[in-house]
Amino acid sequence: MRPSTRIKSIQSRIAGSFVMLVLFTALLLIFISYPLSESAVRETAENYTSELINQVNANIETYITGMKDMSLAAMNNPNVREYLVSGGGLEPEELAKLKRKISGYFHSILVSRKDIASIHIFGYNGTFISDRMDTELNPNISLQEQDWYRQAQEHKGQAVISSSHVQPVVKDEYRWVVSLSRELSGSDPDKGIGILLIDLNFKVINDMLSKLDLGNRGYVFVIDKEGRIVYHPQQQLLYSNLKTERLEQVLQDTRGGFVVKEDGGSRIYSIKDTDFGWKIVGVFYENELVDNKRQMQRSFAIAGMLCLGVGVLLSFLLSRNLTRPIKRLQETMAEVEKGNFDIRVPVGHSKEISSLARSFNVMVLKIKELMNQIVVEQEVKRKSELNALQAQINPHFLYNTLDSIIWMAESKKHDEVILMTSALARLFRASLSKGREMIPIATEIEHITSYLNIQQMRYQDKIRFTQSVDPSLYPYVTLKVLLQPLVENAIYHGIKNKQGPGSIVISGELQGDRIMLRVADDGIGMAPDKLSKLLTAPGKERSKTSVGIANVHQRIQLYFGPEYGLSYESEPGAGTTVTVTIPAIRVEELAGRGEKLS
Amino acid sequence: MRSTIRLRYVLLAAVAALVFGVALYQLIGGGRQAPPKITVAVKAMDEIEFWRVLIDGVHTASREFNVEVSVIGPPKEVDVDRQIELIEAAIPEKPDAIVMAAGDYHRLVPVAEKIHQAGIPLVMIDSAVQGSYAETLIATDNFGAGQKAGKELAALLPGNAQVAIVSFVQGASTQIEREQGVRSILEGRAGTEIVGTYFSEGMEERAYEITMKLLQERPDLDGIVGLNEPSTVGAGRAIRELGLTGQVKLVGFDSSIKEVKLLEEGVIQSIIVQKPFNIGYLGVKTALSVLEGDKVPDKVYTDSVVIHKSNMYTEENQKLLFPFVEE
Repeated sequence: MRPSTRIKSIQSRIAGSFVMLVLFTALLLIFISYPLSESAVRETAENYTSELINQVNANIETYITGMKDMSLAAMNNPNVREYLVSGGGLEPEELAKLKRKISGYFHSILVSRKDIASIHIFGYNGTFISDRMDTELNPNISLQEQDWYRQAQEHKGQAVISSSHVQPVVKDEYRWVVSLSRELSGSDPDKGIGILLIDLNFKVINDMLSKLDLGNRGYVFVIDKEGRIVYHPQQQLLYSNLKTERLEQVLQDTRGGFVVKEDGGSRIYSIKDTDFGWKIVGVFYENELVDNKRQMQRSFAIAGMLCLGVGVLLSFLLSRNLTRPIKRLQETMAEVEKGNFDIRVPVGHSKEISSLARSFNVMVLKIKELMNQIVVEQEVKRKSELNALQAQINPHFLYNTLDSIIWMAESKKHDEVILMTSALARLFRASLSKGREMIPIATEIEHITSYLNIQQMRYQDKIRFTQSVDPSLYPYVTLKVLLQPLVENAIYHGIKNKQGPGSIVISGELQGDRIMLRVADDGIGMAPDKLSKLLTAPGKERSKTSVGIANVHQRIQLYFGPEYGLSYESEPGAGTTVTVTIPAIRVEELAGRGEKLS
Repeated sequence: MRSTIRLRYVLLAAVAALVFGVALYQLIGGGRQAPPKITVAVKAMDEIEFWRVLIDGVHTASREFNVEVSVIGPPKEVDVDRQIELIEAAIPEKPDAIVMAAGDYHRLVPVAEKIHQAGIPLVMIDSAVQGSYAETLIATDNFGAGQKAGKELAALLPGNAQVAIVSFVQGASTQIEREQGVRSILEGRAGTEIVGTYFSEGMEERAYEITMKLLQERPDLDGIVGLNEPSTVGAGRAIRELGLTGQVKLVGFDSSIKEVKLLEEGVIQSIIVQKPFNIGYLGVKTALSVLEGDKVPDKVYTDSVVIHKSNMYTEENQKLLFPFVEE
């Protein structure tokens, strides 16, 4: 197989088209579905982040609400009020008893709450109660300077939640806590009597937040309403300016989040406001999606590759399958080209190919038939031409004519001799016609006229003839030597056997696209049964002239078609008329068809 | 003939699919790499808060930059032999880079040489070794920190003053630099005399004893600089015990609960605090830069902060004084 034919073959074209189709479809699918899945992944990530910070919010609020409830319980505890308000009026022993009672109460609350580090009450009168009886205050720390203390005083009975900070008020203890503080008031609501401090162990929040999973680099941080960091995994880096955080932007944000675009990709911030002023912020690195992206790309690539591989394989097999019957057809055609007409294509399954194969088979059969037909026709033609030739150089006629010439010469009838000899010469010249089969009617008329002239000279008054063919017919063509056998037949079978002289009329006319040439005699005529056998194929018992007539009929039909030929009308005793029907074809027309005439 | 044609087609298809696949794989998977492996060798695992915070910084960086780190180190800082052993065991594992805090300026030289010969990039943190085996050193600017301490003390001293320095181990690079920093300030101060440098061997008790003796011998001493945590605490205890709180000014280094208490009590006036978290973080980050072929400076200094009683509990400083290390 040469490369050029391979590219041009239908199979490779089909295969190529299929491959392109598969490639195109696969790429299109990838291009369409990839961004879709990408945005789906992003959406999932965003949903996940916001769900996560909602969860964080719920957890933190649980802690804070717990502290608030606790602060209310402590505030409304009658012992606390009594201790702080009427502290001065009680006996020291009773006061100590009351303090133990309160401390015990606080302690019982703490036992059930692991998240609460401590509960303290600092009375403005200098007293203090802790959940542990043995607690000592840090002598180097001034309560009044503590942020939570001042905030509680400022907020007049409202609970204040601090940021995360180190609580130094208890001696030897430096715990990271989130503080709830509120001012307690006595019977006069406007006059404070002390500060309640509940410390939430910051470790619980820290642990919760640090365990969150927001991808490798993603993180959650919390700031309070002043923008101070409650929790940030990279707090130290922020303080050293090794990193920056968008604290201002977070504080000002009202839409629940924003996207920060950076060199290395963008960060997605999701912000959740808590009831008490903290903001919980989830930060998700879009680059984190890259891992998912890569994974996705990989699976897309593998799927695409598989599809493509299968597609390519299938297209080759499919194209082979499709073109196989065509190839078989092509091979058969090559056989036919070589001349083998007996071959048949097997009719396949597919509709188009099988109808093609069937048509091809029919065609081969037809060609074979036609070829046989042509062979037979050519044979017949040749035979009939031979017969025509025989008719035109009838030796008997020649002998009789020459005999008549001799006889006339002996009688010294020079004029007649000249007339007859020249007629004979004209006859042969017309019949030769340079060997052509088709001749103008004019030539045929000349031929038959010469023939009749000769016959008349021989038979003298026995025959009269009239030639009345319209000269307008002369430019049309006819087969040569058509009329001679007919006239011969009229003379020998019609007039010769008749008593007295007979006449022959030759006429011709144009009827539409046909030309009718007639030879009419007033001889003895023919019986209908003889008439019917006249034009059929020559048999053994036929007379010589009737062979000539049948031959004329056959020749006309061979050359012009079955609708043309001879037709006889005869009446016994009255005469016979034979009509020759041929198509009206002008000499020029014939020349135009490529056949040449003299 | 027919079967060979078929075979050729199938082969052609297979080759086409393969080429396409490889191209696609290259396109998509080519940029993907396994995370780099970095070994971080510290002086002590969890004896001292300084190292715990530093390791915290290492882990923060490893999460952020997606690095696989393994932290190795002896349980105690004095156990230099154990550190050498651990690092030598880590070299054949061929980490992409090693981040090392040398337990000794001289004894870790052969280790650094081995790392260098193995072709592994070395980043030194906190303290270096002699010679230039490392790509860079990331540490507190000890000379600068010493100067800060000197300035703090200078501001507290009377016109004519006598000052002592309580240092830790003679010959340690950090100690030398800090002392030079302190001296560069105080020696330039008019009427100020540095009576001497005393070595506590890194032990609080020894520092306490030295200071007691010193204060008894020199009742006119105006100020002391403690060059590390045990030295400072030991000196502080002596001052408190002798009732000289506020009278003898004390400026120290590093932080601990003991120092915080002394600061609250007013025994210590100022402490200079390093940022170990940043050292750990930058150590890993810089090692990554080296791996990526970036040029890194020979030395990267991290900050130190001066803390007084008044700014102990600010938002920033409480995180340094009371590091919140995850257990």
